[in-house]
Amino acid sequence: MIELRFEETLYDGFAIDEAAKTFEPFATIDREREGGAFILRVTLAESAAADGHAEADVAAELANHALGKTIERRGAAP
Amino acid sequence: MQGARLELVRELYPLDAVYLAAYTSLDRAWVFLESSPAGVVATVRSKRDGVSDDAAAGQLGNEALAQAYRLHLARGGRRVIEAIATRAVAGAAGPPGLDELLDMEIGEATAFDDPLGIAMSWEEKYGKKPAKKGEEEP
Repeated sequence: MIELRFEETLYDGFAIDEAAKTFEPFATIDREREGGAFILRVTLAESAAADGHAEADVAAELANHALGKTIERRGAAP
Repeated sequence: MQGARLELVRELYPLDAVYLAAYTSLDRAWVFLESSPAGVVATVRSKRDGVSDDAAAGQLGNEALAQAYRLHLARGGRRVIEAIATRAVAGAAGPPGLDELLDMEIGEATAFDDPLGIAMSWEEKYGKKPAKKGEEEP
């Protein structure tokens, strides 16, 4: 299990929700909000592990997706 | 997330510049942002074979610098852009038509305005000026 801690000041909550939903086929994702941060606990699905995906890569890709969506939602994207 | 850590100081790198730089790096690296007392810490992990995490973090830093400078220039040039846009819009409206001229309010205060000197006689405008005190006529 990998825990990702997204600070509210830097990440958009809707973007994180969207990212979590996008990656639900590949991982079990527990969500929590605590101390000014959105916390996602990512556990790789057996099917994704069987396909050769690494848990760290899936978690990092989820974080990238959340960041990209945050930037688009905040209007900073070029 | 493991990877190279890069601190981007708030005074030099506004958050928008960090976001823009991160956005352009998302296809080449995994980027995770955390706040720090001085600004933002980016943890960068390269996705490419042959490119180290440190090199990917360096590319992000370079891009952040370029974006910060671009934002600085955009802020500085905003007044010029606004002035040009205003003139363009005003010019596109064209000269006033007959209806606008008829609707113009001409009062005592504005009736005798003659900034181009059209109402002046030729002598007033181009005639020989009287000699100033202390100057002799040639």
